[in-house]
Amino acid sequence: MSIKLRDLIRSVRSCKTASEERSVISRESAMIRTAIREEQEQFRHRNVAKLLFMHMLGYATHFGQLECLKLIASPHFPEKRIGYLGLMLLLSEEADVLMLATNSLKNDLNHSNQFIVGLALCTIGNLATPDMSRDLATEVDKHLRSGSPYIRKKAALAMARCLTKCPDMVEDFVERIVSLLKDRSHGVLITAVQLMSCVCEIEPEVGKGSFVRLVPSLVRLLRNLLSMGYSPEHDVSGISDPFLQVHLLRLMTVLGEGNEEASEQMNDILAQVATNTETAKNAGNAILYECVQCIMTVESEEGLRVLAINILGRFLLNRDNNIRYVALNTLGKVVLQDSAAVQRHRNTIVDCLKDPDVSIRTRALDLIFKLVNLDNVEGLTAELLNYLVVCQSENKSDICTRTLGVVDKFSPNERWRVDTLITLLTIAGKDCDDRVLSASSTYIASSKDGVKAYAVHKLVKAMRDDDGTQEGLLIVAIWCIGEFGDMLLNPHTSENGVSYQALEPLNVISEVEGVTKQVTCTNAIRQRALTCFAKLTVRFAHCDAGVVQKLRVLVNKFKASINLELQIRACEYSNLIVEGGSGKGSLARMPVVDPKVAGKKSLRGSMSSGGIDAGAIANSSIPGGGGAVGGGQDVGGDLLDLLDLGGGTPAAAPAAAPTTNQSAIQTAQSTDADLLSDIFAAPMPTPSGAPTVVPPAMGGGGGGGDLLGDMFGGTPAPLAPVAQAPAPAAMPPQPPVVDMFAPQPVAPAGNGGTTANPTFTAFSKDNLTIEFETRKEDLSSQSCEVVATFKNSGSADMTGMNFQVAVPKYITMEMLPPSGTTVPCNGGGNVSQVVKVTNTQMGTKKLMMKLKISYTCAGAKVEEMATASGFPVGY
Amino acid sequence: MIRFFLLQNRQGKTRLSKWYFPIGESEKKRIEGNVHRMVVSRDKKYTNFIEHSTYKLIYRRYAGLFFTVAVDVTDNELAYLESIHLFVELLDSYFSNVCELDIVFNFNKVYNILDEYMLAGEIAETSKKEILERVRLLEKLE
Repeated sequence: MSIKLRDLIRSVRSCKTASEERSVISRESAMIRTAIREEQEQFRHRNVAKLLFMHMLGYATHFGQLECLKLIASPHFPEKRIGYLGLMLLLSEEADVLMLATNSLKNDLNHSNQFIVGLALCTIGNLATPDMSRDLATEVDKHLRSGSPYIRKKAALAMARCLTKCPDMVEDFVERIVSLLKDRSHGVLITAVQLMSCVCEIEPEVGKGSFVRLVPSLVRLLRNLLSMGYSPEHDVSGISDPFLQVHLLRLMTVLGEGNEEASEQMNDILAQVATNTETAKNAGNAILYECVQCIMTVESEEGLRVLAINILGRFLLNRDNNIRYVALNTLGKVVLQDSAAVQRHRNTIVDCLKDPDVSIRTRALDLIFKLVNLDNVEGLTAELLNYLVVCQSENKSDICTRTLGVVDKFSPNERWRVDTLITLLTIAGKDCDDRVLSASSTYIASSKDGVKAYAVHKLVKAMRDDDGTQEGLLIVAIWCIGEFGDMLLNPHTSENGVSYQALEPLNVISEVEGVTKQVTCTNAIRQRALTCFAKLTVRFAHCDAGVVQKLRVLVNKFKASINLELQIRACEYSNLIVEGGSGKGSLARMPVVDPKVAGKKSLRGSMSSGGIDAGAIANSSIPGGGGAVGGGQDVGGDLLDLLDLGGGTPAAAPAAAPTTNQSAIQTAQSTDADLLSDIFAAPMPTPSGAPTVVPPAMGGGGGGGDLLGDMFGGTPAPLAPVAQAPAPAAMPPQPPVVDMFAPQPVAPAGNGGTTANPTFTAFSKDNLTIEFETRKEDLSSQSCEVVATFKNSGSADMTGMNFQVAVPKYITMEMLPPSGTTVPCNGGGNVSQVVKVTNTQMGTKKLMMKLKISYTCAGAKVEEMATASGFPVGY
Repeated sequence: MIRFFLLQNRQGKTRLSKWYFPIGESEKKRIEGNVHRMVVSRDKKYTNFIEHSTYKLIYRRYAGLFFTVAVDVTDNELAYLESIHLFVELLDSYFSNVCELDIVFNFNKVYNILDEYMLAGEIAETSKKEILERVRLLEKLE
């Protein structure tokens, strides 16, 4: 016998265990299935209600779906009602059964009872599929003009659902929607406004085009709401219908964006909302928040925008976290448009970093990073570092990297930069990534001597104070001690009055030794320490013999290391530092690296770096003196790896490379591939083939070869700037490279600068002509587009056209795919390819490119290289 | 627009769930579980907003019941927070001092109230009086 819904709920609630509950439910669902099978009509209503309850508890109820359809078809309201409720809850849009409901829905939409019509509209709004929407949209539309506001508002939202499902119908109905705005009922108005916003979202052009003329009506509606006295029906804590106000503002935001005239019409009312809205309660703040967003999005007046940002500033002082959250969120969006106005609230934003709520802290942090500029960098960075101390460790790495970005961009002076980086490492040396380490070392190495001495003293102190866990700090400190250890022997007083005493050589050594003895010491640190000891033999060479002897002992200790890498290096170093050994040159100070270059390299190379590489051989690099270090190449050292100096010291590469062929291969067979890959900061897939691709051609590059070496540094690998570069192994060895800055036959320059898109011939040989057309949207912009057009005046097609471009360091570029790879003969059609370039030194240096063209013509492979430097003035 | 509306108790039992976008049953259960876990463990001092996958959760706790709406990330959080409160006021006036048991035993009525208040993921009516009168009128027809 069927029990009542109430009894079912009661018996489920009285269950003590989950299994008891399951058995009650399974008994009941068996009963319901029987009832369904026997078509017990009188219990259908009750059974579906029970199924809904079971569904909510998470039990299977699919067998009840057809019962819902039967209930819908019933002529009685109560049965229809539970039927539709069941339909909405038990079925999802994907259910096939839903198709069967379309006809019932259609009948009910035409029913004389408005409540039944309401049920049908409600179901359409919550459940309609694209097919249903198409079938029923005209019926829904009819009800938009119904006499009852109850039906009109339901129809409006049902229509929103139909249009979302079938966007192509928007144009058919858009005019009907407009008329809804004349309604007097709040319910209809708010639904109509939402419907319009919805249309603007689906079909922005149609929507905005049709609704923008309604802006004055929207403004009037909003004004009426503001001036309306107390109306109990729609009042929420003293504000009349905040929901309608919010939705009106939302629609105005969409309509006013990018539209001067519409924005002008809104100006007054926005100012009125912004100044008159009561902020004591959440409802008022919701309106203000929407109003601020509207002001910041539409083309509003300057004064209004400042007012809006001040409202957000007030929000930041609110005690309610929700309000502060939305304020930070919005400030984050507008900070780029109105930076100055946001700056005024800087202190309040910084205070948010102390909030207990993590979502507020993250938002504040994002905002602060956007606010940093030259004027406030010192104060804000101090706050960032303070925050770094307390924040969760999973965020530390990210904050370190972002702080590094700030330091890169806005450092007022070298000392501050070095100071900040060392503090950063002291706080979060174990969390920050390699980029921070390499940047810190590079910045220290490239600063003035006074700052270097300060840095190395400070690092020794920080290292002494550390408990041995801040790996990054220790690595940088040990590297710096190795490089600049001699500076520790003199006292140092910095400009800001901090003074450090001179250290004894033996003390310095024992500091480093102390670190390597700690249990927390990692292999990465030991590797640096080993190199440091080797280097200190040179730095402390003038001290008494005991010091150097002590260092030798320390290096020799590593010969017994269980780590193979350390062992090998220790053997190599010990040979190098014997009395009268050739180590002096190799262990000299690293050449200064341009931090920007190093930064870029490390970004590119960070994928391939790791451990000590034999690649560190390049630490034999002495600026301009590459040839002098003949025997030193087989020493290891991880300096290069630490700094990822590859691109920074190309001058040394040619000298190092040829000798590698003989000596390094035998001593470090397994790692010599690393050598090359590290020197050139790019992976090298074939170790055996590596030495052969080192061209001897660049020996004379000297200083000028720096750029060149980077671009065409002898291996295919450094062709990284070449967007289309094939796998390095597949590349033929590069022919000797002509110094691109030597006088070159300049390609005939076009009518540079006189037309909008200057064009010139970049290359012309053997029937192939390449024309460059340069396009620039804004003459002051650093970036431009170069369209290369290939023309073939010969009688045979050129196939397999491959066009490669390399640019000097100060230029970045991106190549888009070509329009084709076959250039038809006799000028029968052109192929073009777009190269996007950004000249970061525009004005001082001209745009220039190195071209490499390869194609097959009449069965013969052709390869050409050329320089394109005929770019017009101003590029 | 609202993606879904959830009403859960502290133990994670769903008392009402309304979905305004197509979704399978198992996925619903999974999301309900996730939402409950996130909402129940939040500190009182925290914001009532959680950014989760492609939408934003806005929740409010009333005694042992959590009301959660999931909305688009661009939506006005404060306004939806207010709309949750309006729904609670509706329940409160309808059941006069609503408690969890009222909702358990009259869950179909709660759904009816919600359907008069929200439709197709948007707010259909903001007048408490209008909604309650309508719900009572419809009940008389049963």
